[in-house]
Amino acid sequence: MNKPEIACKDVMEHICENLGEELESPKCNAIKAHLNSCTNCQNYFKTIEDTIQFYKNYNVQLSENAHQRLMEILGLNQ
Amino acid sequence: MEESELIKQAQSGNKKALEQLVKNYENTVYNFSFKICRDKERAENTMQETFLSLLKNINQFKGDSKLSTWLYTVVSNHCLMMFRNAPRHAHSSLDDEDLFNDESKLTDWTISPVMLTENKELKEILDKSIANLAPDYRIIFLLRDVEGLSTEETAGITNLSIAAVKSRLHRARAFLRNELNKSLKYE
Repeated sequence: MNKPEIACKDVMEHICENLGEELESPKCNAIKAHLNSCTNCQNYFKTIEDTIQFYKNYNVQLSENAHQRLMEILGLNQ
Repeated sequence: MEESELIKQAQSGNKKALEQLVKNYENTVYNFSFKICRDKERAENTMQETFLSLLKNINQFKGDSKLSTWLYTVVSNHCLMMFRNAPRHAHSSLDDEDLFNDESKLTDWTISPVMLTENKELKEILDKSIANLAPDYRIIFLLRDVEGLSTEETAGITNLSIAAVKSRLHRARAFLRNELNKSLKYE
């Protein structure tokens, strides 16, 4: 069986859609093979992962004052 | 005490149980609100509205879904309503042609996610980039990728089909990646 022809654009679309999910179909295997040999797509894959990680790492902490204001509004301050 | 027991006690008027539920979720709700609004004052306001809604409706909570899912739904709806009532912000295109056709920009980045802590300039880049993403796409990206909810849970919260969630997620990821690429790529 011939391997499906894969272009960088296909890889980008597919990676975006399936990042973190199982890649088992013939098309997915062809994508994996393409990814292994294409620096462009490796960079794209890495930067998509980094994008997610940047936003995961960006957290804020609720201040004690904001917590107190919340409890007061809810009538739960003792 | 188990969450289901806390909810039962809160429903029967136990203020300590209610207080504990609020304490268990206040940071999650505040953080998620901030991630959508990118503004601490609006995030605090959304958090207050969300817990006021919890107090008002706790007796109707049947436990069919997780309390966290219910809270994410209230925050998402509240934020979407805020965006609809706010002056229009022009969001950038999410067309396939714009999102996936720029192979010239496929370069590595100068900075990695571990460098985020206390990096004010990078935080400004992240805030600005996500502000350019339409809110209904932003919420999908945040629920699925940042909060780690499943596609099914995200579809339930946003009242969208599984296919619509997947499609929006895939565009949101590509859009944000392209926005960050403008600032973070090696020249």
